[in-house]
Amino acid sequence: MPETLLSGFSRNAVEELSRLKGEPAWMLEKRLQAWETYENTPTPVGRRGDLGTLRMFSNFRFQELHPYVPAQSDSPLPAAIASSLQEALVHARSGLVVQRNTSVVRTELADKLQQQGVILTDLETAVRNYPELVQQHFMTNCIPVSSDKYTALHAAFWSSGIFLYVPKGVEIEDPILAQVWEDEPGSAIFTHTLIIADELSNVRFVQELNSTQGSEHNSFVHSIVEIYTKNAAHVEFSNLQDLGQNVWHITHKNAVQEQDGSVAWVLADLGSKVMLSNIGVDLMGNGTAGELVGVFFADHEQRYAIKTLSHHNALNTNAETLVKGVLTDSSRVEFDGMIRIEPGAQHTASFLSDHTLLLSDECRSESIPGLEIGANEVSASHGATTGKIDEEQLFYLMVRGIPQEEAERIIVQGFFEPVLQRIPLENLRVRLRRSIIQRLRGSYETEADTWVDAQERWEIEGVDEYAIALDSSTASDDEIKLTEY
Amino acid sequence: MTSELIIKNLHANIEGKPILRGVDLVVKQGEIHALMGPNGSGKSTLANVIMGNPKYEVTDGEIWFKDENVLEYSPDRRPRMRLFLAFQYPMSIPGVSVANFLRRSLEAVREGNKTVEEGENPTGKMTKRRNIPPGEFRKLLQEKMRLLKVDNSFINRAINDGFSGGEKKRAEILQMALLEPEIALMDETDSGLDIDALKIVSESVNALTGPNLGILLITHYQRMLNYITPDFVHVMFHGRIIKSGGKELALELEEKGYEWLKPADETNGEAVNA
Repeated sequence: MPETLLSGFSRNAVEELSRLKGEPAWMLEKRLQAWETYENTPTPVGRRGDLGTLRMFSNFRFQELHPYVPAQSDSPLPAAIASSLQEALVHARSGLVVQRNTSVVRTELADKLQQQGVILTDLETAVRNYPELVQQHFMTNCIPVSSDKYTALHAAFWSSGIFLYVPKGVEIEDPILAQVWEDEPGSAIFTHTLIIADELSNVRFVQELNSTQGSEHNSFVHSIVEIYTKNAAHVEFSNLQDLGQNVWHITHKNAVQEQDGSVAWVLADLGSKVMLSNIGVDLMGNGTAGELVGVFFADHEQRYAIKTLSHHNALNTNAETLVKGVLTDSSRVEFDGMIRIEPGAQHTASFLSDHTLLLSDECRSESIPGLEIGANEVSASHGATTGKIDEEQLFYLMVRGIPQEEAERIIVQGFFEPVLQRIPLENLRVRLRRSIIQRLRGSYETEADTWVDAQERWEIEGVDEYAIALDSSTASDDEIKLTEY
Repeated sequence: MTSELIIKNLHANIEGKPILRGVDLVVKQGEIHALMGPNGSGKSTLANVIMGNPKYEVTDGEIWFKDENVLEYSPDRRPRMRLFLAFQYPMSIPGVSVANFLRRSLEAVREGNKTVEEGENPTGKMTKRRNIPPGEFRKLLQEKMRLLKVDNSFINRAINDGFSGGEKKRAEILQMALLEPEIALMDETDSGLDIDALKIVSESVNALTGPNLGILLITHYQRMLNYITPDFVHVMFHGRIIKSGGKELALELEEKGYEWLKPADETNGEAVNA
């Protein structure tokens, strides 16, 4: 069994962690500075009158957690992890990283990509082998140590993570999959993903956060994702968060983009007890584009605070944020979406919308979209809706024989579907549909199958020559539209 | 045995305001009834009340179907007794594809009129339900689509979302063909259709008629009856059926309008109120 740390966070613990990891001095120095920042930064408590997510976190007992719980890489994976991995691996991939608690236990990368100079490794190895790259990019411009109190804590105690470097001009077709598992109740896991996409490169990355369910003990998972796209590079990052409801979760994700780069975030948040999520795009270069598509589902006592930022710093930048979420039981969600257009970021277009569906009388949601516009030749808009299930739609479905609860679930599916269709990977779309069905009370096994089948598997077997278009007035070939997948 | 829908002395309110004031009507499998009458006479209300729309409150009277008290059942169980309503204004449900919706609707209707057992989520346990295999469902749906000359692309679209008026009405008829009701209520299926669309929709309905299907065709105008021949015509006025007859009654109405049928007391009452 590798050495572990005692519970609690302190300067001593920082030093001990760095020693256990055998880190170079510069990293220890960075950690210690971060610890100082952490100690000197007041705990965020949110605004008066908000739904209290930050305040709840401010009372969280960090000191009872173990900040370093390594797992042995040669030991077999527990059954839950193995089976989840199996599910994720049914489709083609270019690489794989599995992190269990505070250790990366599996790393693989296609031979061809290794030959092309792609680097996929755990972050500790990167600190030793590629110090310049890490020093330059790790918690510097993208997510600085001092972003907030918790990012400082992360910098002081980051325990493991993933490092990906894609060299100039390399286009990786199949996605790289990463799984982060927490299966040690009472632990604090700081996982860090650093992706550097060099000029004209292209990569898709799918990360899943999971934990063994059902523990009474609180755990804490802090996840940072930093993405750098150099000129005209494209990164697509999908994140599926399905942590157990004993896990307190903070995540901070940002992308810094040079000229003509583009980043697409696909975020699905289903799990954890309390989540603070910060996602952004920093459009630094001219012609950059950022896209954020998110879905969430909250039930029981779950609380989410989601903040998005589209930060336009250059000419001709485009961003779009679309978030849809469903709340039920006593859950609460705060959504704070910001579009910031700096002076000089002319010819910019930025759109933001979030839509929330409330399934119970007890759940609450709050949405605060914001615009800060410093340039005059821009196009920007935001919109938010919050509502309950439409009674007329419900009646329509019920009059077709569908019981009320199932009809409500169908409406929820329909609410999510347009966003799910924007997820490029079929495997992820399908698994998300299944996860959503699983979370909806009373659902049948076949509901997920029927949904998936209708969206993904239905093939038109030619067009019947005797068939005429539904609308007789426009009987022509234009009517025959096949849904694109 | 022939199924019968029996309505006795039905009274119903919306927001406390009486709309139906004692409707009596019997529709049997294999018969086509036309229900006519001016706007606001309660025709659509009758269809909605039969299907259990919660907006309406039944204050008196009875509805029986196949010797069961329909009013005891929630709206989802009534179609599972093989009653059907083709809506005047079909709801659009964005994001839910026709293929997904119709398969689940058919599964539910095939379960029959019984309480449905729910699963026990989110503990991870999900109830299994007898489902219709995708292949069988596709075959059945395509057969019905061919019968009604509906284009294949229809199944991938979201329910009624962005459909034209004619498409919505034809989609209702397609659902009717798939669910094979014993009694179908068709609420102003002709409204909003141009003459070509009306012809197509009427032909679709005619393709489904036969000894197993009873229809209550609710309409303002006689024009749909040029294509679908009713066995009986009823006139509704002020929440009651005031006259019934054969198909010739529809022609008479077309010629004379509804005025001549108004009971004397109703006319006087309105005059006094005005």
